[in-house]
Amino acid sequence: MSQTTDRRPAAEGRAAPTRPARRRRPAPLIAVAAAFLAPAFISLLVLRIAPAAVALWDSLYRHSFLQGGTVFVGIENYTDLFDNVDFKNALLVTLVFSLVVNPLQISAAFLLAVLYTRKAAGAKIWRSLVVLPIAVPPAVSAVVWSVIYRPDGLGNSFLSLLGLPAQPFLTSPQQSLASIMVLLSWIGVGYWMLFLIAGINDVPTELYEAASIDGASAWRKLWSVTLPLVRRPLAFVLVADTVSNFLIFAPVQILTKGGPSGSTNLLMYDIYTRAYTLGDLSKAQAEVIILVLLTLVIVAVQFRLLRSSDAA
Amino acid sequence: MIAATTQAKVTRQRTVAYLGLSVLGACIGILFLTPLWWTFVNSLRPGSDTFRYLNPLEWETFFTATPSLDNYAALLRSDLGLATLNSIIVSGITVVVGLAICSMAAFALAAIPFRGSGIVFVAVVVSFLIPFDAIAIPLANLFRDWNLQNTYAGLILPGLGNGMAIFLLRTFFLAIPKDLVEAGRLDGLGWWGIFRRIYLPLSAPSLIGAGLTLFLFQWQSYVWPLLNGTDSQHILGPIALSNMQGQFNVDYGVMFAGSMVLTLIPLAIIIAFQRYFIQSVSTTGLK
Repeated sequence: MSQTTDRRPAAEGRAAPTRPARRRRPAPLIAVAAAFLAPAFISLLVLRIAPAAVALWDSLYRHSFLQGGTVFVGIENYTDLFDNVDFKNALLVTLVFSLVVNPLQISAAFLLAVLYTRKAAGAKIWRSLVVLPIAVPPAVSAVVWSVIYRPDGLGNSFLSLLGLPAQPFLTSPQQSLASIMVLLSWIGVGYWMLFLIAGINDVPTELYEAASIDGASAWRKLWSVTLPLVRRPLAFVLVADTVSNFLIFAPVQILTKGGPSGSTNLLMYDIYTRAYTLGDLSKAQAEVIILVLLTLVIVAVQFRLLRSSDAA
Repeated sequence: MIAATTQAKVTRQRTVAYLGLSVLGACIGILFLTPLWWTFVNSLRPGSDTFRYLNPLEWETFFTATPSLDNYAALLRSDLGLATLNSIIVSGITVVVGLAICSMAAFALAAIPFRGSGIVFVAVVVSFLIPFDAIAIPLANLFRDWNLQNTYAGLILPGLGNGMAIFLLRTFFLAIPKDLVEAGRLDGLGWWGIFRRIYLPLSAPSLIGAGLTLFLFQWQSYVWPLLNGTDSQHILGPIALSNMQGQFNVDYGVMFAGSMVLTLIPLAIIIAFQRYFIQSVSTTGLK
């Protein structure tokens, strides 16, 4: 924070008054910036803001059979949703899912990043094997794990090798969500690990040497040197991972269809069934708005956390 | 004497740590490889053999003495061949156009000291973090009205602007010293020149990183191609594969072969660029 405020006034001061003799008058900075931002801004407006606005608009109306056409109903679609058992269940499932899967994936990614940046035989090779599954699209991963999770599949073969009884995995309400978390972590952890490895490689080795001379243990170095210095990539990973986990759809649609008994009915899938299976577009749009708001709140909170940790 | 024994002790401790970390790293790596390796092996044998060697586990579970490419040949005759080609076209165009759009935006936010740049940055990135998949349903309705359903443009457009790519590029651009901008201005470069001649050449690793983000977004997208029309001309790989899985009589061999193709293409690209991705611009550009 302090770095940017130091830099900016100096740059502005230099750009404008000290160099009057130029062939062309330089365009005002804001116009230059606007030109650079224009393509991104247009795609933002048309492909993100416009559909969100349409969803908001539609969520305030409802199709009426009596009056023929749509009528304004205010927030009735929202209040109906919060009375709806399926929606409340989807909200709860999504919350539990997020609270478990995000800390799990991020700490696994961080610990693996630390492990694979240490000197060890074949570290680069083993690291590549962890990164490998990021190439697997979620839909493909779901298709592969659908076979692994079958009663006669690879999952139960491994359990019997360890002397454990066969498990139902996807057909059990207690295990289905965890099963989906495992397949998502298989493809996710390596991806987030790459960002953290980049951050760890940025930490100057002198800092570790200094810490070693001071007699710091390996854990102390991890906690006091590595962790604070990879704050920036860690914050990025935290935001991006949380948002992407809010949008899980393919594994649910391919593997469980939200079941058994709603145990994997994440918000995205609930919206999809509401819009296309139940055909209730207005309530689906209201649910879209709720999901968008939830995500933005999380992003805002995490930006604030990032900023306060920057100031510290 | 005492110094020598402590020295020996430290060396022994180091060796033990080295061995321990190596074994741990290897075990975790192999664990992550297992599902994909099993998929690969099963793509090389007939679908009827998929469940033959699972109870109990034996060496033939993970190896086959009689590999055959029959499943891959069968794949060419199925819908998945064209679907994979479509995925390649859509993802390729997305990376090229998307990198131009995102790097320009990131440059404006990182290098041009205009008033309110901090607020614009937050607005742009947060708006892009409006979860795309969540607004895919209203957007699909809009695209239907605009006759973009079942077109390549309709599939490509949503992947072009990417908040993650902008965030990533801006983070890297911020690490480029402002002195270089000053030097460029003294040499008579305009903002476009500074962007093209200074920022982009210094940013190859971060551009590759952002390009990978754009590519993976498009290659892995599932909700959007599912909603935006899936006629036989424009169907994408993941949708075609999931259709195959949903069929009554699944040939697991062909299904695994399709999974391998959809995985190996991005894998080849990721492996080719991984080292650029891991290097950061602050160490490569400034030393």
